[in-house]
Amino acid sequence: MFEPKIVCFLCKWCTSAGADLAGTSRLKYRPNGVNIRFMCSSRVDPEHILWAFHEGADGVLIGGCHPGDCHYEDGNYKTQARVSLLNRLLDDFGIDTRRLRLEWISAAEGAKFANVMNDFTEELRSKGPLKLAVREMAK
Amino acid sequence: MAKIAYYPGCALNERSSHLDRSARDATVRLGFELDELDTWTCCGAVPPVSEERVMNLVAPSRILKDVRDSGRDILITICDFCYNTLKRTNFIIKSDEITRKRVNAFLADDTPERDYLEKDDSLWEDYAGEVNVIHLMEYLRDELGYEKITESLKRSLKGLKIAPYYGCVMLRPQNEIQLDNPENPSIIEDFITALDAKPVKYPYRTECCGSYLSVSSPDASTRLCYRILTSARNSGADAVVVSCPLCFYNLDSRQKAITEAYSDFKPVPIFYFTQLLSVALGVEYGRQGFEKHYVDVTPVLDKIGISTGKGGEE
Amino acid sequence: MKRIGVFVCHCGINIAETVDVKRVAEESMKMDGVAYAQDYIYMCSEPGQTLVREKIVEEKLDAIIIAACSPNLHESTFRAAAEEAGLNPWQCEIANIREQCSWVHSDREKATSKAIHIVATIVQKTRLNESLEPIPVSITKKALVIGGGIAGIQASLDIADSGYKVILVEKDSSIGGHMAQLSETFPTLDCSQCILTPKMVAAGKHPNIELMTYSEIEEVSGYVGNFKVKIRRKASFVDWSKCNGCGLCMEKCPAKVSSAFDRELATHGAIYVPFPQAVPNKPVIDKDSCIYFKTGKCRLCEKVCEIGAINFEQEDQFVEEEVGAIIVATGFETLPVADLAEYGAGDVPDLIDGLAFERLLSASGPTVGEVRRPSDGKVPKEIVFVQCAGSRDPERYKPYCSKICCMYTTKHALLYKHRVHDGQPYIFYIDIRTGGKGYEEFYHNAEEEENIIYLRGKVAKIFRDGDKTVVWGTDTLTGRNIEIAADLVVLATAVVPKDSTAELVKKLRIQTGPNGFLAEAHPKLRPVESINSGFFLAGAAQGPKDIPETVAQASGAACKVISLFSRDHLEQDPAVAWVDEDLCGSCRICISVCPYDAREYDEEKEIVIVNEALCEGCGSCVAACACGATQQRNLSDSQIKSMVTASLGGV
Repeated sequence: MFEPKIVCFLCKWCTSAGADLAGTSRLKYRPNGVNIRFMCSSRVDPEHILWAFHEGADGVLIGGCHPGDCHYEDGNYKTQARVSLLNRLLDDFGIDTRRLRLEWISAAEGAKFANVMNDFTEELRSKGPLKLAVREMAK
Repeated sequence: MAKIAYYPGCALNERSSHLDRSARDATVRLGFELDELDTWTCCGAVPPVSEERVMNLVAPSRILKDVRDSGRDILITICDFCYNTLKRTNFIIKSDEITRKRVNAFLADDTPERDYLEKDDSLWEDYAGEVNVIHLMEYLRDELGYEKITESLKRSLKGLKIAPYYGCVMLRPQNEIQLDNPENPSIIEDFITALDAKPVKYPYRTECCGSYLSVSSPDASTRLCYRILTSARNSGADAVVVSCPLCFYNLDSRQKAITEAYSDFKPVPIFYFTQLLSVALGVEYGRQGFEKHYVDVTPVLDKIGISTGKGGEE
Repeated sequence: MKRIGVFVCHCGINIAETVDVKRVAEESMKMDGVAYAQDYIYMCSEPGQTLVREKIVEEKLDAIIIAACSPNLHESTFRAAAEEAGLNPWQCEIANIREQCSWVHSDREKATSKAIHIVATIVQKTRLNESLEPIPVSITKKALVIGGGIAGIQASLDIADSGYKVILVEKDSSIGGHMAQLSETFPTLDCSQCILTPKMVAAGKHPNIELMTYSEIEEVSGYVGNFKVKIRRKASFVDWSKCNGCGLCMEKCPAKVSSAFDRELATHGAIYVPFPQAVPNKPVIDKDSCIYFKTGKCRLCEKVCEIGAINFEQEDQFVEEEVGAIIVATGFETLPVADLAEYGAGDVPDLIDGLAFERLLSASGPTVGEVRRPSDGKVPKEIVFVQCAGSRDPERYKPYCSKICCMYTTKHALLYKHRVHDGQPYIFYIDIRTGGKGYEEFYHNAEEEENIIYLRGKVAKIFRDGDKTVVWGTDTLTGRNIEIAADLVVLATAVVPKDSTAELVKKLRIQTGPNGFLAEAHPKLRPVESINSGFFLAGAAQGPKDIPETVAQASGAACKVISLFSRDHLEQDPAVAWVDEDLCGSCRICISVCPYDAREYDEEKEIVIVNEALCEGCGSCVAACACGATQQRNLSDSQIKSMVTASLGGV
C-alpha cells in the first residue's frame, strides 16, 4: 500500500502539545508524518511548504491554535492568510490544494490530532504520490 | 399550490383515516397539499430499533429512495411510528457506510431493471440519505411557522384547556430525531397556543401509554393509560391531544377497560392534533370522523360552541 | 565540523517496546555531523545524565541531542546537564520519540523508521545552532489575583505576608465567594463564615493587598514578569470613600431584587450589600433594578444618605496596573437546575440545588437556619437528595465526577436531621466517594447513627403533584423502582467553571481543558501553574475541589509567585528574531505583523531592527520578511529547509 510522506509544522503551544496529549493518552495513529515544532504557526513561510513538496512530501500539515487562542495574539490569523494566498498558487505548481492542510488543534485535543493524522493519511493514500515535474526532471 | 411528498402509512390508510383526512383538509387551508406517494409499502414500524439491521432497513429505504428518484428532498409523515422508522433509517443510511452499501445491494437486486444493472451499473445511484423526513407538526413549526396558523384561524379555540401527550417515539432517541427535548418538550404546547387554546402541563405527558402491550398484556396498558389520563384531568385538561395512531388507540378505546377497572375514573376525550387544527381552520365538523372516537368529544366542543354550529361553520 | 552526540533513551519500555533504540543509535552514527551515539535505559536518571556529561567531555562533543520524551518535560533538565559539562545550553536539543512516536504507533518497524527520521531532523537543526545567552528581563514584583473567593483570599494573604504587593480583583462587590454562602463545613461541621470572615477582614486590611471589588479584567498584555493589566472598576453609584456603611439607604430602598447570594430564596433592595459580613462593607446600586434608573423618579437612597455618598452620575473607571505574575482563582458555579429537563427544568418550586439548601441551613440565611421549603414555608418532613445531577453523565451532561457532592449531601442530610428530628432524608447516589481525611468516618456515622436512607440508583424524573414533589428512581441494590412523594428535593448539581471563565481565558490567552476548567501545565508535577509562564491556578476554576484542597492549591500558587519574585531578574529565551543589516530593504512589513512592537525602524541605519527584550520569538516577522533579512536564532530558514529534507529521509 502507498505510504504517503507528511511534513507537519506544529506550533509549540497548542498543536504540538495536543500531539503530546495524543501520546500520553496512548492514542494510535498512522506514522506517516514527522513533526517540526515552531513557536507559532506564523513562523511557517510559504516557501517552507513548497520546499517540503519539492523534497518529496505528499502532504503538508500546519497545526495552530484555534482562532482567538494564539499565544502571540493573532499569529494563527496570519498563517491562515498566508495559506489562503498560497492555495491560489498551488494549482499552478501542479499541486492539489488538498495536499496542504491547516488545522486548529488545541493542547486539549489529542484525539483531534490523531484523527487528523489518520484522515489526512487516508486522503493522501487515495490521491497517490505527488508527481512534480521539477522532481521528475531532477531524476 | 405547493405539493409536498407525503407518506401516510398503514394506520392512516385504515383505522386512523380521520387523522389522514383532517391533515389533508387542514394543510390545504394552510396553502400546501400533502401529495401521497404513488406507490408505497409498509415502513416496517419498529424494526430499525432491533439488532439485526439490514433486512429491516430495506423497506423504509426503498420508500425514501423512491422519493429521491422522483426529484424531491422532503417527505412528510404524520404517524409517529412511521416518522421514527423513516427518520432513523435515514440516519443509519447517512452515518453508517457499510450498512448503506448492503441496503443498496438489496435494493438494486430487487429492482425490475436489475438485468440491465448487471451490465451497466452506472444506471444505479445508491440511496445515501438525501431525503429529509419531516413530521407534519415539525413542518408546521419550522417551515410554515405557527404564527401562520394563528393568522389563518377561522374559529377560536379560546377557553379550551388541552393536555399534549407525546408518547415515546416522536422524540426519541434525541440525537437521531432532534425534534425537541424528550424530557421537557414544547412543540405540542406551542401548537396548542397557536390555536388560541391553552396548553396544560402535567407530569405524565412523556410517559409510556403501553404501546404494543395493548396486545400482549392489555392490563398493563390500561394501568398506564389510567395514570396518564387521570394526571391530565387533575391538571384541569378538557381533552388530550396526540399525533400517534397507537397512542390514540390506547388512550381512547382503552377508556372502556379503565372505567371498568377504576371506579374514580372520568373519561377524557382524545383528539388528533390535525382534528383540532382542521376544526380551528373552519373545516366542517362532520368531516372530522369524531364518530370513530370511543369517548364523545361533543361536550368539549360544545363548550366553545363548535359542534352546534355556533362557532362559525363554513 | 561540529561534533554532535546523540543519546537515545529507552524510557524503560516506554520507548524501547515499539522503537528499536539500538538501531536508532546505529543509524544516528551514520548521519553527517554525528560523532557519537549511545542508548541508555533511563537517560533522565542520575546515571543517565552522568553518562551524557562524561561523553560530552570524553568525545569532545560540541552539541548533543537527547532522543527521549517531549521537550516540555526534560529539555531544561538536559540543558542544565549540558551546561555542567561545559556546553552552551542551546547546543542541547530534544528529539521527541516518545509522545510523538513510540506511544502513538504500534508497528515496531515503522515506529523505528519514524524515530530515525525525527532524530535526523533534529540533527539538521543542531548542526547550525548557535551558542546563545539568555536575555535578562526585569520583574515587576507585584501580583494580580483574579477572584476573591477562599482561593484568591488565601493566595493574596500568603503573597502579601511575604512582603510583596498584591492586587485582588473580584467581580462582585464583596470578597468571600461561595464559601461565604455555606452553612457548616464537612467533616468537622465548623461554621463556614466563622472561619472565613477573619480571613476576609485580614485581606481587606492588609497593607500589601489592594482590594478591587466590583471590578473585572478588561485587557492583559505582556509576559511573565512584565504584564500590563487594564481593570474595569464598575460603577457602584456609591462613593465608597464617603460611605460609612450605615445601611440606611438599603432599609429605605423600595425595589425588590431576588438575592443571588441567597440563591433567589430572599430579596434585597436595588441598593444592597450581598451579605452583612461583606468586605468591603459598602453597598452598590443594581442599575437594572433601580427604580430611579428605570423610571427617572425615586432617589430615596440619596435623600436618606446624610453624607451624600450616593452618586447617580458615576461611570465605569479604568485603571492600568503593571504586575509580574497572575493567579487565576475564578472559582465555580453549579449547573443551573433549569438545564436538567428531566428534573422539571426549573419549574418545580420545591426543588432546589445544594447551594440554596446551604442558605436554608445557614444561621444568617433567609430562614435563620430553619429548614423551610420555598413554596409555602412549611418544614419538610420527607426530603430527597439527588447526587450526580448532571455529573457522571457523559451522554447528556458532564462526564466528570464533581467530587464534593457525596460529602456535602451527607452533611446536608445530617444537618437536616439535627434541625428536624422526625424528618426522613433519602439520598440517591451512584457511588459514595469519600476520599479525604475523616471523610469516610463522617459518612459512616451519618449512615449508621442518623437514620439517613441511602438509595443506590439514579433518579429518572421529578415533578410536582399537588403540594408534593414526586421523585421516581430506582434502587439498584434491590432492583425495585421507587417513588417518593417528597416535601423538598435537593439536587447536587454538577460543579462547572464560572460562566465568565471562558471569556477571561481568552483575554489571558491561557488554556482550558475539554470541560472548560483551567488547564494545568502538568497534571501531576505542575498542578498550580498554567503552561503559559507567569500564570498560576488556584481553586475550583481548575477543577472541582473542596475547601482544604482549594486552600492548599492557593498556597501552592502563592509560593510559586513568591519564588518567581525572589529572583533579581528573569531570563528570556534568546531564540528571537535578528536582522541581517545588509539585506534589509526597510519595507517595514515586519513592523506591521509584530504583536509586541518589538520591530522598530532605525532612522540612522535606515533599517528595521529588533528590540530583543520585547521579542517573544514567535517568528511571524521572519516568515513575513520578503528578502530574508530577518531570521530567527536557532530556527533560520536554512535550518528549517534542511530539517524538512531530513524529515523526508532526504539527507
